[in-house]
Amino acid sequence: MLLGLDVGGTFTDGAVLQSGKVISVVKTPTTHGNLLEGILRAIDHVVAEVGSKDFTRIALSTTIVTNALVEKKMDAVGLCIIPGPGMNITSALPVEPYILSGYIDHRGHEVAAPKPEEVIAACQQFARYDVFAISGKFSVRNPHYERQVAQWVKRQVNPKHITVGSAVAGTLNFLRRTNSAYYNAAVWRRFNEFANSVELVLQAREIFSPVYVLKADGGTLPLSVAREYPVEAIFTGPAASVLGIMAMNPTSVPTVSVDIGGTTTDIALWQNGIPLFAEGGASVDGFATALRSFRLHSLGLGGDSFVRREDGILKVGPMRLGPAMAVGGTQPTVTDAMVVAGIIDFGNRQLAVDAMEKVAIAGQTPAEVATNVLKEVIAILSHGIGDMLTEQATRPVYRVEDIVHGTKISVQKVIGVGGAATGIVPMLAKHLGLSYEIPRQGMVANAIGAAVARSTVDITLRADTTEGYYTVAELGIKNKIPRHNFVLADAYQLAEKHLAELAMIRGIELGEIEMIHSEEFNIIRGFSTIGKIITCRLQIKPGVLMGFKEEM
Amino acid sequence: MSSNKLGLVFFPAFDWAISPTHPEREERLLYTRDQIVEEGLLDMPSIREYKPKIATYQDIERVHFGVPDISSLITDAHLVSAGGAIAAADAVMRREVNRSFALVRPPGHHAMRVVHGTRGFCTINIEAIMVEYLRKVYGIRKVAIVDTDVHHGDGTQDIFYHDPDTLFISFHQDGRTLYPGTGFTDEMGSPMALGSTINLPLPPGTTDEGLHQVLDHLIMPVLADFQPDIIINSAGQDNHYSDPLANMAITAQGYASLADKLKADIAVLEGGYSIEEALPYVNVGIILAMAGLDYSKVIEPDIHKCPSQSSSVTRYIDELIKERQGMWAMKEKLRQEALAKAGDFWQRTRTIYYDEQGIDERQIEMVRLCPKCSGYLTIGTEAQGPGFGFKSAFAAVISREACPHCRQTAVDAVHKAKKQGKYQHYFVQNKYEDIFEKL
Repeated sequence: MLLGLDVGGTFTDGAVLQSGKVISVVKTPTTHGNLLEGILRAIDHVVAEVGSKDFTRIALSTTIVTNALVEKKMDAVGLCIIPGPGMNITSALPVEPYILSGYIDHRGHEVAAPKPEEVIAACQQFARYDVFAISGKFSVRNPHYERQVAQWVKRQVNPKHITVGSAVAGTLNFLRRTNSAYYNAAVWRRFNEFANSVELVLQAREIFSPVYVLKADGGTLPLSVAREYPVEAIFTGPAASVLGIMAMNPTSVPTVSVDIGGTTTDIALWQNGIPLFAEGGASVDGFATALRSFRLHSLGLGGDSFVRREDGILKVGPMRLGPAMAVGGTQPTVTDAMVVAGIIDFGNRQLAVDAMEKVAIAGQTPAEVATNVLKEVIAILSHGIGDMLTEQATRPVYRVEDIVHGTKISVQKVIGVGGAATGIVPMLAKHLGLSYEIPRQGMVANAIGAAVARSTVDITLRADTTEGYYTVAELGIKNKIPRHNFVLADAYQLAEKHLAELAMIRGIELGEIEMIHSEEFNIIRGFSTIGKIITCRLQIKPGVLMGFKEEM
Repeated sequence: MSSNKLGLVFFPAFDWAISPTHPEREERLLYTRDQIVEEGLLDMPSIREYKPKIATYQDIERVHFGVPDISSLITDAHLVSAGGAIAAADAVMRREVNRSFALVRPPGHHAMRVVHGTRGFCTINIEAIMVEYLRKVYGIRKVAIVDTDVHHGDGTQDIFYHDPDTLFISFHQDGRTLYPGTGFTDEMGSPMALGSTINLPLPPGTTDEGLHQVLDHLIMPVLADFQPDIIINSAGQDNHYSDPLANMAITAQGYASLADKLKADIAVLEGGYSIEEALPYVNVGIILAMAGLDYSKVIEPDIHKCPSQSSSVTRYIDELIKERQGMWAMKEKLRQEALAKAGDFWQRTRTIYYDEQGIDERQIEMVRLCPKCSGYLTIGTEAQGPGFGFKSAFAAVISREACPHCRQTAVDAVHKAKKQGKYQHYFVQNKYEDIFEKL
């Protein structure tokens, strides 16, 4: 029995799954002052309905981290960076960093060591701070300096928490890793307070199921691990609904999914059964981070989008001024148009007709206006999908073969979830000339997604056979290469071993492993090959723990 | 659009090499890629990354004659690299960015008008293809190309040698000490374009100081005087002190401040084979400078290995500057004298060596110096080499502004040569109508 909970901006949703069936769902208003209240109400509801507290797992998707950002309730972070030569990144960071000397080069060579006296000075400057973040250029090629500085900081001021860049992401991009490390430290205390209270209230209710937290890439982390990597718990709402789609409607053909809510629509592109990931990582508060997340295109369009005329031209969204007039709102909305067009039955039809009359021009019937509103909605959605496909097709690639063969996706199917999907998606699919599916439990796709999301983790192993060592930044290790004639297949095996190790440390079950990136280059000096540089990035494949059958 | 936005076409061609251990191999831009990605340059709001296009044969044949044809001489990688330069040009011309940098390979500046094979790692000239594209699509007329590769840009020089609308300036390590062994001060363009080719051979051991002497006192003033519609930088990076194929002493700072001063509209990567010690830093420096970002902290970890400039080098460069300043001031007079001396036709016979395959080409070029228009050009080419056999062709180039009489005469010349049958292949490159014909 799996329990999934998704705390959204408007509703807190819950779903319980057993043997591939949804046996209980709940939708209750989100309690903004204290998220836990709404969460508990949802838990109590499903416990009562299924008559058991015996969940195999509780998976939580919350806005706690997002709220900390939005409400600026973050802690001051002692951010220390080791940038070495290169771009001055200070202006691209959310706060002024303390700059330490020292440099690791692109091959992972230790070129210049950091200086302890500078670290002491940094600690004096940040003396009143509880949390620190330390990030060095090319630390993923050699984590030594970052870890050493962290040790010095610990010895000097012993802060409550230190985030190091190479532990948050094993991939290249000093700027993104630094921002990830900063935000991780900044939300650490608030997330841990939330985690404490979650554990306390569950204990009080004698619920002893393990608690997991959803990540932006659709994976989950045990709560105990999430305490160290709280920033991973950001942007989980859309990820939850994407996972829900994966559980309800597994799709292998290239697909576009649209999650149409009250205010916004999230569009995702799917290939080989999984959604595409954001290049480089998610953007947090306008800053580029290394956080893995699905690539979503958000539009200000939903059932409650405001419909009006501007200079005689019919406009839809992006703002929401309140609920549909059909349910007592004061302004015409997309939902009112759907009611008038007869594609949904919702609220008071006469009030919806009144809404359409408000935006009708002389001689137009409410039905005609409704049709025009829906045409505009379809146009906005099609445009958004088109933008995403163009972005995918123009994405830079670095091999001749990829350019010649292209990276274009030919979408074949639309999957729609969310409150307004039922009415809009069939029309959208018809407009695009595609087939469509609307999962029956689409209204709580997010909670279902959280319930069934698999735990995932990824690592990057980079071996430099000329140097004779390999690194796995996420584990902070730099080891000797175990054999001669080390090739990509050997790197894969080794990476598999370390992935298992990391999974164990994080309390994650080792599921299906997939290689998400690999490179193998010969190193040539003079005119002979002297070694290889091999990069191998593996992940436990994100996905769902169990499929889900429609009948219930 | 921000006031300082750079379009970056990054195409390292990770699956292409001339041969496995060749300097032009898969690994060449690997460390540069690592540095660019690690710095986070691609996430800066003032840098926008573009995907290369795939150049068409029409784009290429606006510049080149391939014998027997272009398609049998090149790979897909060449189409993408030329397409990378074109994408960089489009980004600037559509005003999506202020300037752009095509950080692409394979390179092109040793590829001449006639192509029998690969010379100096180059098969087709990606800058020249881009220039002719700019002229055709955007109506650009006056172009300045500043070639900052350590090797003389002999291919680019060859292609624009008769074109007074293209100012070609190349500084490079003296041809007496380095491939391709050309690029001396007396190579100044054919009579109609005399002075629009400027070669600045620099002595081995020239440092940032010498480079900026030349830039400040000669290149920048000449550019200001020429008033080009667009400035292109053939941004080779092998003047670096760590380059294994040359003997100069330029640093990443030297290159970055060059990019900052030159303010090229479009830069295109050429050579540079210190793939680990130089390229990551030089490229980051150039990108930052072109994007208007702070490049002062881009310093090679082994900068102490960079030698300083000897006083004899400084003196030599001062002399060179004075002498070329004098030439530039007198170029109109020199041009008139050369035209008067040449009469109706200017002719030259040359041998061209293709180091990659050991091909020797003999070429006879004949330029019609028409008093009414920009004339036409005929070329007879014969190439042979071990394992290559023998190939020959006769071609005419009709200039963009050729008069009706020149247009007809040029075509007649090719028909006449074909009737005589001395060559294997016959071509007409008609820039007036933008047509390439094989007769």
